[in-house]
Amino acid sequence: MTPKNAALKAILLSGALAVSSAAYAQEIKIGFNGDLSASPSAQSGQAGVLGIQAAIDDINAAGGVLGRKLTLVVRDDLSQPPKSIQNMSDLIDNEKVVAVLGPTNSGNALAWKHIPNQKKNPSIGCIGSATDITKPGSANAENYMFRVSMVDRAQVAGLIAYAKNNPSTKKVGFLVETTGYGQGGLKDLQELAEAKGLKSVAVEKFGVNDTDMTSQLNKMKAAGVDTVLVWAQGTPIGQLVRSMEKIDYFPLTLTSWSSDNASFFDTAGKALAEKPIFMRTITEDRTPKQQQLYDRLAPKMASKSAFSFAAHCYDALMITAAAIKQAGSTDGAKMREALENLQAPVEGIMKTYNKPFSPAEHEALTAADYRWTRWKDGKLVSYSDDVVKALKPSDFAQ
Amino acid sequence: MLDVYIQTLLSGLAVGGVYALIALGFSITFTTTKTLNFAQGEFISFGAFVGVTVLLLLSGLASATTAVPGEAAAGWRYPAAVIVAGVVAGFMGILIFLLAVRPFAGKGGMNWVMSTIGFGVILQSLGLAVWGPAPVMVPSPLGDDVLRIGGAGVRPQELLVLACAILIMLALDLVMRRSRIGKAMMAVAHSPQTASLMGINVTLVMVGAFALSSGLAGVAGVLIAPIASASLFMGMGFALKAFSGAIIGGLNNPRGCIYGGFILGVFESAVGLWQAQWREIVVFGLIILVLAFRPAGLFGQAAVDKV
Repeated sequence: MTPKNAALKAILLSGALAVSSAAYAQEIKIGFNGDLSASPSAQSGQAGVLGIQAAIDDINAAGGVLGRKLTLVVRDDLSQPPKSIQNMSDLIDNEKVVAVLGPTNSGNALAWKHIPNQKKNPSIGCIGSATDITKPGSANAENYMFRVSMVDRAQVAGLIAYAKNNPSTKKVGFLVETTGYGQGGLKDLQELAEAKGLKSVAVEKFGVNDTDMTSQLNKMKAAGVDTVLVWAQGTPIGQLVRSMEKIDYFPLTLTSWSSDNASFFDTAGKALAEKPIFMRTITEDRTPKQQQLYDRLAPKMASKSAFSFAAHCYDALMITAAAIKQAGSTDGAKMREALENLQAPVEGIMKTYNKPFSPAEHEALTAADYRWTRWKDGKLVSYSDDVVKALKPSDFAQ
Repeated sequence: MLDVYIQTLLSGLAVGGVYALIALGFSITFTTTKTLNFAQGEFISFGAFVGVTVLLLLSGLASATTAVPGEAAAGWRYPAAVIVAGVVAGFMGILIFLLAVRPFAGKGGMNWVMSTIGFGVILQSLGLAVWGPAPVMVPSPLGDDVLRIGGAGVRPQELLVLACAILIMLALDLVMRRSRIGKAMMAVAHSPQTASLMGINVTLVMVGAFALSSGLAGVAGVLIAPIASASLFMGMGFALKAFSGAIIGGLNNPRGCIYGGFILGVFESAVGLWQAQWREIVVFGLIILVLAFRPAGLFGQAAVDKV
């Protein structure tokens, strides 16, 4: 926020305080810190804010929490880590929010995850999926980072399990982009593959802005790879399937959930978009509750495929509110204890959360909540085959 | 195996054509003003989105948020979009010269480096405000079916970019060597003071150089958009590689820049066939080698300062 805006806001706030200072002091502030405008993933951030606001509206309509109304304070981090760090201090110290939701980009969460821990202010992630976001700083350290979203490592476990149990898979190859996202994914792929006794015969990398991956694919083809596991963002996966078409080589393609992006679909085109199989939390076969929220938010969503983030963020806020209620306070340490030991089930959009977190587990959604997905006629639909049907929860072990 | 090599060569030439076109832009401003437009990357992105806007306006089709409908690029609309983007970016080139380069051109110091980068940041931020952050897929006027050449696959747009790049470069080469304007540009490049004494309007030539170079970036943006999809972040990568191509070929030799762009494209593609993750290391290693042994680039004339 610019100083000018801050000044303006201060004036407006003092005006509001004068009118209803009693009511205002009662409000509980929740923060959102994430990219809303600067990177291609900004649409996820925008959807997330819509979801949080919808949850806040629902809670306030039912009388709020502890008899107090919730309000949302939104900060755009422009996908830049320094700005994101600055936003965290601003939200926690100046705005006195009781918890921060977001962020859009995993890298930003990793850049500031020490701040919620130091300031004892819970942060509930609902968009970024990097595995390390919810890892504690050291063993047994108090950990204020929670998440209601997908986790990279759990997805990787799913892809590996699929390749491992697919009878027609003889030779697997890994294809990743050269960013932090791709490298993190490759690490997970290699570790979990080794743990499950799956051997890759080729590992290839490509740049996030590359438009032609035929060289890498030709090497995969030469190595006899029939199944590729891809970890990259939406647009480069789109370029990848286009390059597959160029050399007419279509191995079974299992990818990260980035393939659910509109940018992947637009880059690949309707026919090629149907090649990859991946996991995400919501397909277009929505549950009644999901459909209800979708109908409510769809008119405001620029990108409909970002709806899952609205659902995650809705649930994150519901769980936060349940923690405040159980703690009987907005004190950060008490909220963390309540989060790690929620007594009453929380009715969410994704599912009903029964004790979603524990001191050791800070992920509310696990591989069991994921859906196998692929594009079909321009829609994200559930995917199932004999391999998917035969997968057991134990196959997803990490 | 032959088809793999043909594939590598074709893919490399297609990307190299883009590099060459933008590298030529770098060369044009460098030879006339001894400055470079470090906002070239943003001009590419900007041009691409101007093209998107023109396609939508002309076809009267609504844009889905992230893709321009295929029929919007049909017929004369795509060429019109290319020309408009070139003209608008050229106009922005005049602006950047007047606002960010002219006060510093021909003087010592590196102020123009910062001011052109700053101009690019402003342009990108304005672009984000107008068009938003999402990449937009642009249809190719020639369709999207893969063409097979000797067992290798290539898309029509890649051939179009290659053809356009070669045509534009031939035309400019002719203008630079045969016409009065070209001679005036070379005179300014040689010595602005002398050129001025000979009655050449030096400022006008410099403005023209920036307009031309920026216009080329705008044209390149619309040409690349169906391959890379239009994004406000797409230009940087292409511009950096194009600049590398220009350095390899020789910044003060327009033809050399073109060769440099193609060499870099094919080289990248070939390294990808070996170890793709080593590509950047090998490419920039090559640049350092070239600079060490031929400081003026492979095709550049060594700069000899006459006293």
